[in-house]
Amino acid sequence: MYSREIEALLQKKGIVPGDTVRVVSNRKSFEGVLLPRPEFGDQDALVIKLKNGYNIGLELKRGSKIERLQREKESFAFPRVKLEKKEGLPDVAIVSTGGTIESKVDYVTGAVHMLVEPEEMLAQVPEILDVANFKVVSPMRIASEDMTYKNWQEIARAVAKALSDSHGVMVTHGTDTMHYTAAALSFMLEGVNGPVVLTGAQRSVDRGSSDAFMNLLCSAHMAAKGNVAEVGICMHANASDSYCNFMRGTKVRKLHTTRRDAFRSVNGRPIARVDTHGNIEYMDESRKRRSEGGRMRVVPGYEPRVALLKFYPNSDPEIIDFYIDRGYKGIIIEGTGMGHVAVAPTDGKLSWLGHIKRAVESGMVVGMTSQCLNGRVNANVYRNLRLISGTGAVYCEDMLPEVALVKLGWLLGNHKRTEAANLLAKNIAGEITERTEIDWD
Amino acid sequence: MTGHDYAKLGFKCGLEIHQRLATEHKLFCSCDAQMTNDVSIAEIERRQRAVAGELGRIDLSAAFETRRGRKFIYNTFRHTTCLVDVDEEPPHELNREALDAALQIAASFGAWVPAELEPMRKEVVDGSDPSAFQRTVMVGHGGSMEISGKTIGISSIFLEEESSGIEHSDSSAVIYNVDRLAIPLIEIDTDPEIRNPAEAKEVAKRIGLLLRLTGKVQRGIGSIRQDVNVSISEGARVEIKGFQELDTMDKIIESEVERQENLLEIKKELQRRDVRVHPPVDVTSVFGETKVNALRKHLEDVSGAVMASRLQGYEGMLSKEINPGRRLGTEISGYAKLAGVGGIIHSDEDLPAYGFQGGELAELRRMLGMKDGDAFMLVAGDKEACESALAMANTRAQQAALGVPDETRGVDSRQLVTTFLRPLPGGARMYPETDVRPIPLGSDVYAAARRKAVDVEKVSRTLKRLIKNVQLEEQMLWSTSLGLFMQVVEKTGVDGGLVASVLLDKMTQAKRMGKDVDKIGAEAVLRIFGEYKKGRITKAGIEEIVKHVPESPEDVDKMIKSEKLERISGRALEKLVKESGSEEDREEAIRKVMSKHRLNVDGDELRGLLK
Repeated sequence: MYSREIEALLQKKGIVPGDTVRVVSNRKSFEGVLLPRPEFGDQDALVIKLKNGYNIGLELKRGSKIERLQREKESFAFPRVKLEKKEGLPDVAIVSTGGTIESKVDYVTGAVHMLVEPEEMLAQVPEILDVANFKVVSPMRIASEDMTYKNWQEIARAVAKALSDSHGVMVTHGTDTMHYTAAALSFMLEGVNGPVVLTGAQRSVDRGSSDAFMNLLCSAHMAAKGNVAEVGICMHANASDSYCNFMRGTKVRKLHTTRRDAFRSVNGRPIARVDTHGNIEYMDESRKRRSEGGRMRVVPGYEPRVALLKFYPNSDPEIIDFYIDRGYKGIIIEGTGMGHVAVAPTDGKLSWLGHIKRAVESGMVVGMTSQCLNGRVNANVYRNLRLISGTGAVYCEDMLPEVALVKLGWLLGNHKRTEAANLLAKNIAGEITERTEIDWD
Repeated sequence: MTGHDYAKLGFKCGLEIHQRLATEHKLFCSCDAQMTNDVSIAEIERRQRAVAGELGRIDLSAAFETRRGRKFIYNTFRHTTCLVDVDEEPPHELNREALDAALQIAASFGAWVPAELEPMRKEVVDGSDPSAFQRTVMVGHGGSMEISGKTIGISSIFLEEESSGIEHSDSSAVIYNVDRLAIPLIEIDTDPEIRNPAEAKEVAKRIGLLLRLTGKVQRGIGSIRQDVNVSISEGARVEIKGFQELDTMDKIIESEVERQENLLEIKKELQRRDVRVHPPVDVTSVFGETKVNALRKHLEDVSGAVMASRLQGYEGMLSKEINPGRRLGTEISGYAKLAGVGGIIHSDEDLPAYGFQGGELAELRRMLGMKDGDAFMLVAGDKEACESALAMANTRAQQAALGVPDETRGVDSRQLVTTFLRPLPGGARMYPETDVRPIPLGSDVYAAARRKAVDVEKVSRTLKRLIKNVQLEEQMLWSTSLGLFMQVVEKTGVDGGLVASVLLDKMTQAKRMGKDVDKIGAEAVLRIFGEYKKGRITKAGIEEIVKHVPESPEDVDKMIKSEKLERISGRALEKLVKESGSEEDREEAIRKVMSKHRLNVDGDELRGLLK
């Protein structure tokens, strides 16, 4: 929004953004298209797009003039492809949920829009239409940081429905919490019988260099013909546009804020590599094949009163009491090293031991993971570890903290407390591996 | 070619001058903005695509690049590349040092500066930017410059990111060095009101000088580039890129005018004839047993093919000369080459010399359905490459009947002609750089820039007054020593002619003798001239100290003592004259004293003494 004065002036003259205007500012005359005020910047500066394509900000003060030369012309339109069924191609369903991969800049104003129609999203990579026949459902269009477990449930239902009559499903998603959704789908989709491929973009799709193009193509190949019956994330494997990794949904984490290879497999290797030509190289023999998929069932239950707590030096364990008092059912702790929290600090009030014990005794399930992310927690090596596990906290093997959180919410939503506690450290969807191969990469 | 009446030709010409700024960091990150000779630490391979445009417009240049389908490899470097450069991290804040320099330059042209700067993205389709766009900001508008009594308008001034340097390029890939990417660059565009090639050169030179005088720009090869836009009536706008030196700029523009005139002649002739370009035909079967090397080497490959187009009514036109040694066929070949073939062979050439057999040619003509007065062109190579090469070559052949195509052309600095690079991009697509906030410019910021504005005329006049030697004045105007020169004259009051001759001539002489005069500190220079002004040393003494490369004022003091450079004057000089025993013979006395005390005695004083 422009300042009140400018808005009033524009209104008086009947000028709206998109109109071609002539502005006289500081005795200089400019012609161009009036743009809406960008989110940031000086509300008193009028922004117009000159004929040479550049935008400039003009001061509108006493002596300045503005007049309309031409009404707004045709509005901005995104290109789109036509979805037609081609004989002999596999069927792939796209469940689109929002995020960078589905937003596009209006080249005139710079405003970012959601691509409303799937035909617009696929128009960015028209060759994708030679990979599969697509149908698209869009249960929501939100940024991934706004997602809740209800969205996971909704996506799970949409994926299950889509997978019942297609060879594979792609889920387009914002990247920030994509690994939480991947974990949630891994647990909620019991007996999944085909590839469920989450993908997104780290760089906006208005630019010719966006990672979205390759991510979409590789994901389409993976969904169409990958011999996998698992949920995973398919994104750039490195900084080059050479191939993507398809990574198990319970063994993957966003590990970089901006790079296109932000998603990395942790405590496991990617299930496969896939390139834009559809070459797939499987890297994990333990993967579930299509033939191993069962009768798929959605198990959507979820207990949202679970929390993820990070232990750090000087951290106040009373936070646990807060959760107990609020009626929380479970806590996952991100401990240090092999799963430590303070046990015998000089200031006794900072010991977590009694608080964890109280939580467990009050009926909560408490799980221990490591903020190292890489590696396995252990309840025995040090005395302190034995003391902590003695409180009844469950040591969660080599499970990522976020995955443990999602799993605990899901377990508590579908099982009794004791059962949930028992299952927390047992593998259900590839989230725990019993042996870690020597892989020094 | 001289003696053109450029006004009558409808000659229109404008310049775009691109100059790298000498800042510490790049424009939107904290990488070093000075290229080094480091080796690349990692390679990144990328594909880019022409992002579908708004309003359905297809940019010929973008489509052209997409059709080539090349991959881009980026060499990255320890100190000059970071995640921002390779499109793995959003840009940081705009570099203030660069902005200040840009505003100073804008002020020097008297340009109008916006109240708020709006950083933009300009789409780049040739891969030279890993993000597929260049960040650019318009910092000035509507300035002007005076040259030989005429005012040349400066339409716009931009602050933008330098592109990557090309390490290697072929039909399948381009290798770029990302060290150069995003070094701050200032672009100055003139209005298209330059009247002739000589004036173009003069304007370019003057802008270059002004930029240098700001002291904020890089020097050396490639740090400044001139693009020239030229057209004549009925011709087309041609953008000529890559002038290596200004000396030949006028000659090259003349050649370009000549080329456009000749193309217009060709157009007239083709329009008189009934010409048509026919679609390409696969004629591989004709050349199964061929002795033509240029074809045979491709046909050994399974995917190798020969394809040809019939050019109805074109006989004799492909060999029409458009510049010395360059024909219409050369131009068409340029288009075909971009698709990755070696060029075209056409029927206006000496075909038997290639090894073509009569039977082959007869069969080819039959397959193409050729009649008298027709021409053909053929290409050989990978079938796909042949198809796109002939598609492009056909387009160019058709354009010949319409006149001069809009093109971006390069410079052949040996032949002094322009050569085809690619079709002229349509209006570049620009949209806001949403990762960076708009930058408000307070009036105080521009006022500060105005105070630092450079006035070339004024500097010129000052030098004329101070130096009084045309050659040294001109030399000083372009010299890196200009700032120091002004300082010395102002602070010490020593005659400008002497200071200029020491800073330009004597320093150069010492350098030629192997002295590392670049190490002489500015403060040391000030001290030397200060001591001279005080009468402590002589002119000859100045030269002598310079040879000893003093790095500091203290060094100067030490050298005056250790090299015994103190001036001998007044009584002491009279004593010397007496001692020479030649008081009666003036010339003999001067000779004797000077031969012994050249460095310590001021010749003028001595001559005055012996009057």
